[in-house]
Amino acid sequence: MRIEKCYFCSTNVYPGHGTMFVRNDAKTFRFCSSKCHKNFKMKRNPRKVRWTKAFRRANGKEMVVDTTFEFEKRRNVPVRYDRELVATTLKAMERVAEIKAKREKAFWKNRMSGNAAKNARDAALSIEKHIELVQPRSATTTMPNLEEKEKIREKIKVRAAGRKAMALQQIEGKDKSSKKKRESRLIPSGGGMGMGMNVD
Amino acid sequence: MIGLKGLLNVIDNTGALKVECINVLKVKTRLKSTGTATVGDEIVCVVNKARPIPANEVVKNPSSSSNIQKIRKGDVRRAVVVRVKKTVQRTDGSVVRFDDNAAVLLNNKGEMLGTRIVGPVAAELRRSKGGAAGAGGRWGKILMLAPKVV
Repeated sequence: MRIEKCYFCSTNVYPGHGTMFVRNDAKTFRFCSSKCHKNFKMKRNPRKVRWTKAFRRANGKEMVVDTTFEFEKRRNVPVRYDRELVATTLKAMERVAEIKAKREKAFWKNRMSGNAAKNARDAALSIEKHIELVQPRSATTTMPNLEEKEKIREKIKVRAAGRKAMALQQIEGKDKSSKKKRESRLIPSGGGMGMGMNVD
Repeated sequence: MIGLKGLLNVIDNTGALKVECINVLKVKTRLKSTGTATVGDEIVCVVNKARPIPANEVVKNPSSSSNIQKIRKGDVRRAVVVRVKKTVQRTDGSVVRFDDNAAVLLNNKGEMLGTRIVGPVAAELRRSKGGAAGAGGRWGKILMLAPKVV
């Protein structure tokens, strides 16, 4: 029994998981999940789908050349069971994984190294663009002096007065319109016009 | 999942290209029987499409060219299913599916009519025991002739 690799996303396919598809030219494709199978059926190229290992490798997101990859390889050579060998292999696997993780971390750090300066630059730019949003809070609170406060008060007053006048007008308009309606029933010509104007 | 009216490609050299299932040779009322054919099941089928037989060959030697180019459209034959589109669950937990439904034609004794097979066949054919072929089970000859058993 083998741990296979998914054809689409390259993850491990453990026994009892996923499906195998056999094309008529006898080429077999293993899929870890229905998601990968469906993507395959849609004829998507794994190198162009961002979440696959193939994409990440093709676009320099992950280590490609490394000696740690040499250990995990298909070897079609049957080996006789040997307790000692298994023990040492297990030990070696742990160590290899450790080294691999370390190298991957270093790779990631190297990949992200250019980003710190870029991020700082971007941040500075955005601050410059929206400088009014980041002014000190104390300055904004002290700014409106007495005069301005008066002005604001006036504004509020005017607004309130205006609202009152509008309300009054509306009431009057309603009354007039209702009257007009009654009139228009008696004199149909020009009734509609008059009504529209009153409403305004 | 081959049932009545199911269409299958024929992958041997009998001359038939497409057959239609008209009966699945199973006891359909048995408790665990599905009534549909899958890999390794025998069916009765009618030839829907066959390779045209050259006129001169028919005139020259109608009997001598053994069983090759003998099948015509409309013939009713037995066949064994060798590939199915529907997933097949294996005992080791894996699931296999193929590109198409395919069959190999048989004579009345349950032996292969053709002498060659093109394309892969499913390893489920190994499951059926018995038959004249002996060690290979009932479909030993098919397994032997197939270019690849998957």
